[in-house]
Amino acid sequence: MSRIFNSMRDGKGFDLILVGAAMVFLLALAGLPLVYNVVMSFQQVDMFTLGSLVRPFAGFANYVAVVQQPEFWLVTKNTLIFVFASMAGQFIIGFALALFFAQNFPGASTIRGLFLVSWVMPGLVVGGIWSFILAGDYGVLNAILKGLGLTQATIFWKSDPNFSLWAVVIANIWLGLAFNMLLLSVGLAAIPRDLYEAAELDGANAFQRFWTITLPMMRSTIGAVLSLGLIGTLQQFDLFPALTEGGPANTSNVAGYWAWQMSFQLYDFAKGATISVMMFVLVLFASVVYVRSTRHEVRG
Amino acid sequence: MTTQIELSHIDKHYGVFHALKDVSLSIEKGSFVALVGPSGCGKSTLLRSIAGLETITSGTLKIAGETMTGVPPRKRDVAMVFQSYALYPHMTVEENLTYSLRLHGVNKAEARQKAAEVAATTGLSALLKRYPRELSGGQRQRVAMGRAIIRNPKAFLFDEPLSNLDAALRVHMRKEIRTLHDRLGATSVYVTHDQIEAMTMADHVVVMRDGVIEQQGSPLELYDHPISKFVAGFIGSPAMNFVPGTIGADSRSVNLEINGSLSLPLNRTLDTGRKVIVGLRPEHLVVADPGMATLRLPVAVVESTGSMTYVTTNTTPELTVVETRRMNIRAGDSVDLTIAPEHVHLFDPTTEQAI
Repeated sequence: MSRIFNSMRDGKGFDLILVGAAMVFLLALAGLPLVYNVVMSFQQVDMFTLGSLVRPFAGFANYVAVVQQPEFWLVTKNTLIFVFASMAGQFIIGFALALFFAQNFPGASTIRGLFLVSWVMPGLVVGGIWSFILAGDYGVLNAILKGLGLTQATIFWKSDPNFSLWAVVIANIWLGLAFNMLLLSVGLAAIPRDLYEAAELDGANAFQRFWTITLPMMRSTIGAVLSLGLIGTLQQFDLFPALTEGGPANTSNVAGYWAWQMSFQLYDFAKGATISVMMFVLVLFASVVYVRSTRHEVRG
Repeated sequence: MTTQIELSHIDKHYGVFHALKDVSLSIEKGSFVALVGPSGCGKSTLLRSIAGLETITSGTLKIAGETMTGVPPRKRDVAMVFQSYALYPHMTVEENLTYSLRLHGVNKAEARQKAAEVAATTGLSALLKRYPRELSGGQRQRVAMGRAIIRNPKAFLFDEPLSNLDAALRVHMRKEIRTLHDRLGATSVYVTHDQIEAMTMADHVVVMRDGVIEQQGSPLELYDHPISKFVAGFIGSPAMNFVPGTIGADSRSVNLEINGSLSLPLNRTLDTGRKVIVGLRPEHLVVADPGMATLRLPVAVVESTGSMTYVTTNTTPELTVVETRRMNIRAGDSVDLTIAPEHVHLFDPTTEQAI
């Protein structure tokens, strides 16, 4: 008895308790819902079988049905545009800001801290603010564009099929910008100053220093930022109900919001689960690429 | 001999802090100059100003005859070896060595050829494909040196390059750097806080203090004729002993205020009653027979390293004596010391300048 007790205090037993606690938490709160979701995508689900676990097996019927939905390819295309445009915008502007604030001018860290406001705010609130800014009739963005003479006509950002997706992309870039900037700032700060000095003496100009020192030294940070950006963008939900509700005519609908519409507006839980699983596979693929790319990470 | 680096009236301010005060220095082509001084004396700032990593507030800097005052570091054609080595961690040894060549558009084959040559001179040939994290401290040091050598620059700047190495390796690298300097016929400026490094490696030592050049000259010049108490205390190991004293009635001796009053003969004449600080190097104090000695002092500690005996006296201020002979002295005994008059250094108590 005392041997077991001792082992629990200091030994294998203690290790098992620590590992066990983490595993129980993961299984209960992440593993089970995930498995349930995958199981549901292979079942026939309707309002009457919603409460039971064992339902008729449907094979790949749900997957076929999702792909055959008339809006499937439109949503796929929108999702890709949304993900790439948002990530590109967040990353490039975030990196630019991180480099800007790395210049250590007076107040740099304070102002950088203020940028975090966008990250702290709930997505629904951000959506609400951008809804005002992007409004066709009274929106500030249109006023600015017209004032600068960039456009004559009033752009209905949220209801014009040509712009509706971009309205959400703009709001999402603003929302994710600070997070990208923060992580990239940390990465930049971790590069020793004397490397830049050595490169400068070796004859590298500012652009060459960025290309040969900053970027390679930031490789793992950039990998982390991009994969977190991918996950965050695929998960983005709040902006859609606040701005366009996926409309008009699904022109701003993306997979995540579509899955929610299937499950909780049309009560087609099987299709909702199926779309989620498809997204999950995509994220899993991206994660594997990320992990493999950072495996040979070089740090001094 | 031509002047390779010429500094005239350099001033550097960091806000209200005056880091370099009207520093003028000319460095001969092919010479090995050590900048030495306690931390915060401005020696690193001066070196970084030569490199262009610090801007100078006023004054002019010329390298090989060209004015470089406002020129960015990459156009100065000087190479620097950093205290941290500053190797590029994401590049192999070969890539580290050839980085500057690649930036200057040298083709790959030629760069590799040069890297191989430099690797041979620095003993890195077997390590070209390794990354810096896979190297030992001494090997990293060599890569940093190689990276400087490969460019054949107008001057080598060293910023305390040996301070991260262990004692044995430091002594070894000291010789290696000096040999390399001689072989390349390079001009080197070497910053260190270690006066032994400065004394052993340099042709010309510049002692700095509070942003001012206190004294410069050959190592032995500084050792034999320090112009101030600061230089006298900084150069030499163990450090010089300082004892307050007064010139005696005969003007040819000094009475030391130590353990009562003891008198030392001088080789010059000074005003009777003048207050002085007497500097006595530990290695110049000789343990003598009782009859011959001028100082008889109680002993506090005796330390023997085999080749050397260090005797510390039980006095205020305490004196350190270094003897190469084996001594039959123990703590609590008295020791009889003598010193040749020409080895007695005198300093003014207020200005601390040599008399």
